[in-house]
Amino acid sequence: MRARIANSDPVKVVLWITLLVVAVIWIAPVLFIFLTALKTRPDLIATGTFGLPTEIAWENFPKAWDKANLSTTMVNSLIISFLKVPLGIFVSSLAAFALTRLRVPLGRVFLAVIIMGAMIPVQVALAPLFRLILGLGLLNQYVGILLPYIAFGVPFQVFLLTAFFKSIPRELDEAARIDGASAWGIYRRVIIPLALPALAALFVLDFVATWNEFGIALVILQRQDMWTVPLSLQAFTGQFGNNYTQLNAAIFMSIIPVIIVYLLLQRYFVAGLTSGAVKG
Amino acid sequence: MTRPATIPPPTSRPPTWRGTTLGRLTSWPFLVPAVVIYALFALYPMIDGLWLSFFDWDGVSADRHWVGLENYIQIFTQDPVFWRAVENSLIWVGLSLIIPTTVGLAFAVALDQKLRGRNAFRAALYLPAIIAAIAVATMWTWMYNPIFGMVNATLEALGLAWLIQDWLGNPDIALYSIFVAYAWQATGAAMVLFLAGLQNVPVELKEAARVDGANHRQVFRAVTFPSLMPTFIVVTVLSIISSLKVFDLVYGMTLGGPAQSTQVLALWSYTQSFQLHNYGNGMAVAMVLLVITLVIVIPYYAWMGRRDEV
Repeated sequence: MRARIANSDPVKVVLWITLLVVAVIWIAPVLFIFLTALKTRPDLIATGTFGLPTEIAWENFPKAWDKANLSTTMVNSLIISFLKVPLGIFVSSLAAFALTRLRVPLGRVFLAVIIMGAMIPVQVALAPLFRLILGLGLLNQYVGILLPYIAFGVPFQVFLLTAFFKSIPRELDEAARIDGASAWGIYRRVIIPLALPALAALFVLDFVATWNEFGIALVILQRQDMWTVPLSLQAFTGQFGNNYTQLNAAIFMSIIPVIIVYLLLQRYFVAGLTSGAVKG
Repeated sequence: MTRPATIPPPTSRPPTWRGTTLGRLTSWPFLVPAVVIYALFALYPMIDGLWLSFFDWDGVSADRHWVGLENYIQIFTQDPVFWRAVENSLIWVGLSLIIPTTVGLAFAVALDQKLRGRNAFRAALYLPAIIAAIAVATMWTWMYNPIFGMVNATLEALGLAWLIQDWLGNPDIALYSIFVAYAWQATGAAMVLFLAGLQNVPVELKEAARVDGANHRQVFRAVTFPSLMPTFIVVTVLSIISSLKVFDLVYGMTLGGPAQSTQVLALWSYTQSFQLHNYGNGMAVAMVLLVITLVIVIPYYAWMGRRDEV
C-alpha cells in the first residue's frame, strides 16, 4: 500500500527525499559530536573534520566520565529528577483537582496568579532565590534545589492538569460521591486513574526539563559534589576545553539519558507539549 | 446538581460537600502544598527582587541603603551594556519570530503528509529540542571551532572558504552565531505546535476546496493558513517569551562577550548581581525584563481565557 502511494505521487517522493536530506543535516551536529568523541587526539589533527577515525578511541568515554566527575553528577541529577518530578506532579495535581472539582474561594484568581508564573523568566528571581535558600541554610542541599524546582514547575503543570481534569465528566465524581467517596477518594480513585496519559506526558516533559535545568542549579549548587550534569559539563568546558575528543565524549554522555527517555516515551512527549498550548 | 432525595448516602458523610462549608474545608489541604511552595519559592523571590531594586547594595555586606529609583535611572542613563542587552534581546525576539517559526511550519506541513517513516523524521527533527541548552552551547562552540569545527570545514568543502570566520570571536557576528544554535533548538517546539494546529484544520473544508478545483497551494492559502491563526498567536507569544529567557546558551558560549557584544537582559541581570556585586542594578534589570514579559503575557492569557469560554 505504502509503496503504491509513494509510486503514484512523484511530489511525495521528492518530499520524502528532501526530508531525508534535511533530517540528516539537522542531526549532523549530534553525529559530529559522536564522531569526534571516537577519535584519538592525533587522529583529530590528522583526519580532519569529517574523516573517520583510524582507530576507535573508546577510552575517551571513561576518561571524560572521570574528569567531568559524572559518577557523582549523574547520581545527583538522577536523585533530583526522580524526587522532583513525581513530587511536583503530585503537588500540582492536588491543586488542579481542588481548582476544578472543589469549591475554592477566589479559585479563578488563584489559577490566574499560578499560571502567570509559567511565562516568567526564572532569571528574574535567581539572585533573590539564592538569598532565600542561603537564609534557610539549604544551599548545596537536595531540598534547597527541589523546592524552587517544584515552585517553578507548578504553574505549567497546574495549567495543563486543570485543562485535562476539566475534560473528565463530572458525573463520575458524583457517582463516586454517592458511593460515599471522600474528596481524597475521588482524587485517588477517579481522577488520577483517568488522568494517567496526561500525567505520563507531564512526567516525560518534566524529567527532560529538570535534567537540563542550568540557571537555578548554577546559583544553588555551588559545591562540586552537589553539581548536576549540566554544571559538570559547563565546568569541563572551562577546565579541559582544549581536550576536544574527551569534551565531545562528555557532551555525548550527558545527553544520552534524555535521548533514551525521549525515544522510549516520544508518544507521551508530543501529547504533553501540544495539549496545553493548542486546544483542540 | 439534582440527586434523588429518597436515596440516603451510604455513610454519615453529608451528602454534598461541594458548595457547603465542608466543601470549603476539604479544598484547602489539596491547594495548600502547591500554593505555599509556589508563593514562597517563586513569588516571594520576585517581590524580594522588586524591593531590593530600590536599594544600593553589593549583595553580601550589611551595608545597604534605600536609593529609590536611582538604580533604574542608572541603568537607563549610565549603562551602555544595558542598552546593548535590550537591543540584542530585541534582535533575538525579531529573528526568533522569523526563522525557527518558518522552518518549524515547513517541517510541520511536510510531516503532516502521509509519509513512510514519518515518526522517525519527527523524532529526528525534534531531537535538538530535548538537549540541555548548556550542552547545545558546548556542542555549537565545538561546531564553531575555527580549526576543527564543522562549520568552517563545511564552508571550505563547499568552496566557500571566503566565508570562514571566527564565529564566536567576532563581535559583529557572535550574536548571530549563537542565534543559529538557538534556532536549531527552538524549531522543534514550533514544529510540534504547528503539527497540532494542522490536526485542527477541518478536513471537510479542505476536501470541499479540492472538489472546487483548488490546487495544493490554493488550499493551503485559503483553508489551512486561516485555520492556523490561533496557532500563530500561540507560537508568536511562546517565541517571544523563550527569546527573553535566553540565558544558558549565551552563558555557555560567550558569557556575553566578546566586549559585551552578545549580552542579553537575563544574563546581564545575573552578571550585575553575582559577578559585579551590583545587586540593586541587577534587580532593576530583572524588573525591566519582568515588566516586558508581563506586557506580553497578560493580554495573551486574557485572549486564551476568552477562547476557553467560547
